[in-house]
Amino acid sequence: MNALAALGEALVLIGTFFYFLSTLGLIRMPDVYNRMQTSTKSATLGSLGVIIGVGVWAVGNGLSWAWLVKATVIAVFLLLTNPISAHALIRAAYMSGIPLWHGSVVDKYREHLEAKEKAETDAPLEGGEE
Amino acid sequence: MVSILKRSLAIISILIIGYWLAQGLAGVPFGQDKMLVGHYYLQHVKEQTGAVNAVTAIVVNYRGFDTLGEVTVLFIASTGVGALLWRKKRERTAKTEGSVVLTTGVELLFPFIVMFGAYIFIHGHLTPGGGFPGGATIATAFLLLYMAFTIYEVPHKAFEKTEGIAGMSYVLVGLIGLAIGGYFLFDWIWQTWQWGTNNLGRLFSGGFIPVIYTIIGIKVGTELSGIVDNMLKEEVRE
Repeated sequence: MNALAALGEALVLIGTFFYFLSTLGLIRMPDVYNRMQTSTKSATLGSLGVIIGVGVWAVGNGLSWAWLVKATVIAVFLLLTNPISAHALIRAAYMSGIPLWHGSVVDKYREHLEAKEKAETDAPLEGGEE
Repeated sequence: MVSILKRSLAIISILIIGYWLAQGLAGVPFGQDKMLVGHYYLQHVKEQTGAVNAVTAIVVNYRGFDTLGEVTVLFIASTGVGALLWRKKRERTAKTEGSVVLTTGVELLFPFIVMFGAYIFIHGHLTPGGGFPGGATIATAFLLLYMAFTIYEVPHKAFEKTEGIAGMSYVLVGLIGLAIGGYFLFDWIWQTWQWGTNNLGRLFSGGFIPVIYTIIGIKVGTELSGIVDNMLKEEVRE
C-alpha cells in the first residue's frame, strides 16, 4: 500500500460519495430541471473521481501506466459529452412544454421566445403595408 | 373484463413456460467446467491463428462462415429497409436545428468517435470488440450528425459503393484461402505465409483477422449509417 494506491482509493471514495449525492438529488428535487441539475453535475464529478481514481489505484498497485492513460481518456470523453447530453435533454424537456417548479420566480427564456414570436408575427404585417 | 382475463391468462402461461425452462436449467451444474471443444480452442488459439483474443479467433477463423452469414444478414436488413421505404423523392423532415452547444459538440466529437471505432476494429485480435462493435460506433458518429443537423446527409454514392466493395472483399479473402489452402476462409496470411509469427500479441499479427475485421467494420459502419439515413427520411409531395 503506497501513496498512489491510497490516493486512488480516496478518489474512488469521493467519487462514490458524489454518486450517492446525485441519486439523492434525483429523489429529492421537485422538478425535471432541478433533478437534471443535481444529477448530471454530481454524476459527472463522481465519475471523474471514480475513473481517475481507478487509474491511479491500478498504477499504485504495480499495474502498467496504460490503466491511467485509458482512464484519463475515458474521463475526458465523459467530461466533454455529459454536459452536452444534459443540455440537449433539458432543452428538449423545455421545448416539449414541461413546466417549471411552481416555486420558480423568473423564466427569462419564455419571455425571450415570446418576444421573438411577436417580432416574427409583426414583421410580415409591416411588409404588407409597404 | 376481457382484458383482465387475457392478461391473467398470458401471465399464467408465461409463468408455466418460465418454470419449465427453470426445471430444464436446474439439471445443469453451475460453476463447473463444461467445456468440450472450448479447451481445444483455448490451447491452440495462439499457434493456429495468432490472435490473443480467443473470441475473435473463433468468430473469424474457426467459424468464419457464421460471420459471413451475419454480414449477409446485415446486408439483407439494410437492403430490406431500403426497399421497404423506397420512394422517388424523399427528404429529411427535421424541423429544428440542434442548439449551438449540440452542433458544436457533435462537430468536435465526430472525428474522435470515428477514430475510436477504427481503433476497435483494427485491434480486434488484441482487445475486446472487433468489426461489429467498431462499425456500430462509426454508425453512431453519423447518427449524431443526423441528430444535430437538419440538412446533413450521408454521402450516398461513396457509402453504398464502399459497402458493396467491403462485402466482396470479405468473400475474396475467403476465396484466396480456398485457392491456397483448400477450403473457404482458410487463413493464408498466418498458415501459409507465416506472417507475424514472432510478433504475437502485437498489432501486426493475428493472420487475416485484422484484415477481415477492418473490412467488416467498414461494411457495418456504412450499412448502419445507410439504415439510419433511410429511416430518417420521408416522402415529399409537390
